[in-house]
Amino acid sequence: MSARALRITLILLTSAGLGIAGYLTYVHYAGINPVCTAGGSCEKVQTSVYSELAGVPVALIGLLGYVSILGLLLAPEGERTRFAMMALTLVGFAFSAYLTYRELYSIHAICEWCASSAAILTVMAPLSVWRFLRVPPSAQLTHGRPAPQRADTQSLSSAS
Amino acid sequence: MSTLKTGQHQENPTRKQRRERARTERREIERAQAVVAVRRTRLSLLGIVVAVVVAGIVVVLIASSGSGERHIKPGSAEATAASSEVTTLLAGIPQNGNVLGRPTAPVTLQYFGDLECPVCRAFTIGALPSVIGKWVRGGELKVEYRSLETATREPEVFRSQQVAALAAGRQNKMWNFVETFYHEQGEEDTGYVTENFIQGIAKQVPGLNLTAWTSERDEPALSSLVASDEQAANSNGLDGTPAFLLGRSGGALTQLEPSSFTEPGPFNEAIEKLVKS
Repeated sequence: MSARALRITLILLTSAGLGIAGYLTYVHYAGINPVCTAGGSCEKVQTSVYSELAGVPVALIGLLGYVSILGLLLAPEGERTRFAMMALTLVGFAFSAYLTYRELYSIHAICEWCASSAAILTVMAPLSVWRFLRVPPSAQLTHGRPAPQRADTQSLSSAS
Repeated sequence: MSTLKTGQHQENPTRKQRRERARTERREIERAQAVVAVRRTRLSLLGIVVAVVVAGIVVVLIASSGSGERHIKPGSAEATAASSEVTTLLAGIPQNGNVLGRPTAPVTLQYFGDLECPVCRAFTIGALPSVIGKWVRGGELKVEYRSLETATREPEVFRSQQVAALAAGRQNKMWNFVETFYHEQGEEDTGYVTENFIQGIAKQVPGLNLTAWTSERDEPALSSLVASDEQAANSNGLDGTPAFLLGRSGGALTQLEPSSFTEPGPFNEAIEKLVKS
């Protein structure tokens, strides 16, 4: 898988997660029930005490997380952005794992929207780790040094 | 090294080659070392992130299990403390069914609650004790506990816990049951109200005849009381808990919407007006 393909895959996954978190945040603040096939489960999850963390709806936390991850994926690729993206994804994965645990053992109801977001993060977590570790360090090194291309563009721009 | 001797007559190119080879070798070693260093840095960064995340999960789990899922077992120190607090609060105050206070008290407060509702707990532990101390104990106010399903998710669980409270009321100990339940209330939506939990509450009510209580729990009359409480709440436009109807006893009751459930001030003010009228 090329770096480009991997990045695009992650961007698509993040966008899907963003859509879900955005919808759930909207539902939370609009005070309506999410469209749900398993009768009442989503409502039960969305209105439970675990739907907020210190007064902040978890859907909003998820939305902010996905926005940050998407921002890091769209930013110029480099060691730092890859690391930050991976770190955020792992935090998001852990958070969604905790919420899924609460759904199963405390609320006794599963909301498909939350489960989909958890599934997305479960796929993204290993992908982001792989992406961070896989880039050949040699390529990284030459890239990290005063890049000749940049020197060229600089001289070009200064010449023009 | 062995080429040194054999290629002696081509000393110049060999030396050049050797120098170049040494240089590339050195570069490669440097590069390999750099690669290893970068890999090591990445893995340790990954390790740090994983460690932080795991630590976060542990902290959240410990924090939430500590404060959240209160499961006070009968006989534990907390249960004893809650039970003695309730006993002290209610000692010497007459009870009749769901009514706490002198039957001829001039003012009536109807308290609509859901035993699993955290705000009701906040009121029961916050404002209510001083209202009881100030007005009920003095015989000026009686408080009727009525039910309205809000926080409890399963109607069957709601009916069961409320009927259990009403059954204690048959022995004029409903308020002990209700107060103990609120004191030991668990975290909302955690499914903590099991048959064991309900029996545990009953066992903490001093002097409750458990055999009689158990058989009264099957009485259909108590279930219909739950239904009529719901109708009363609906016809008065009450849609949340805790909700209050207040007025002169025997007269029309009007809804009281206090600005706080934990401060007795708004209740005292409204009750005082009625007592003096």
